[in-house]
Amino acid sequence: MDGDSSTTDASQLGMTGEYMASSHYVLHPQDDDGEENMNDHEDGGTKENYREQDIYLPIANVARIMKNAVPQTGKIAKDAKECVQECVSEFISFITSEASERCHQEKRKTINGEDILFAMSTLGFDMYVDPLKLYLQKFREAMKGEKGMPGVAVGESLGEDLTDDGFANPLPAGIITADGQQQNVMVYTTTAYPQIPTVQQIQFS
Amino acid sequence: SENKTEAKAISLPISRVRLIMKSSPDVSSINQDALFLTTKATELFVQHLALTSFNNRSQTEANTLNYSDLAKTAEESDTFHFLTDILPKKILAQDYLKTLEQMQDEDSDF
Repeated sequence: MDGDSSTTDASQLGMTGEYMASSHYVLHPQDDDGEENMNDHEDGGTKENYREQDIYLPIANVARIMKNAVPQTGKIAKDAKECVQECVSEFISFITSEASERCHQEKRKTINGEDILFAMSTLGFDMYVDPLKLYLQKFREAMKGEKGMPGVAVGESLGEDLTDDGFANPLPAGIITADGQQQNVMVYTTTAYPQIPTVQQIQFS
Repeated sequence: SENKTEAKAISLPISRVRLIMKSSPDVSSINQDALFLTTKATELFVQHLALTSFNNRSQTEANTLNYSDLAKTAEESDTFHFLTDILPKKILAQDYLKTLEQMQDEDSDF
């Protein structure tokens, strides 16, 4: 799969009304107001309104992962959650820049899976690589096995642009967050064709 | 089929991960594998950072992970060292003023 020419206009993110309604566009305020700024708010503006470093993953998701990682009796301070939220964006940018650089060096325009894994290895996250390869494999198998469900289109030969429209089949997955609220997340598959009889697999060397 | 759900389920919004990736300079396109791997890696990263910092915390009796534990981990760990710029160690204002005073005293000796 190649290319991603879609808009990054934030108002077009999230393909279904369901996702938008429960979206947690937590964009970090400049001043620390405490509680109310950690709530969801609708984002009517575009990405350009916010600095690169102001884009974060929703704190509820981050906090839940943290809570499950530490011992059950452990607690997490609020400023630690906010802090990790920022660290996450830093991590994503860190990996992406490295992957992007390698991509450019090899005169390619699309960042692929190999670039990401290579970047992780280079930047000291080598320990993630094997588990990630496994996850990717499971993910593909799970997609392939679904009856009547479009599979994941992989492989350069398909030449399909990865646009936001391509995420046409969100699979809603409900998760219960640590504070008991149900949160809807979307697992997206892309459809190059309505039905994919076979799925081409990428083998990582 | 529970395994399948588990394999597919990602607890972070992919589109948001993509937005952050796209905000990096010179990034044109990201294929689906790259997006999935980055999202999954981010989950691992959060777990890794949280647990390492928790085990490394200065106040072991409190059983709480604090900002300072994260800053400490960033400082002391090779893996997380890239975070030191955004995790400055916080110092108490009074300690800072004291240090400033000391520096000024040293200057006045010359």
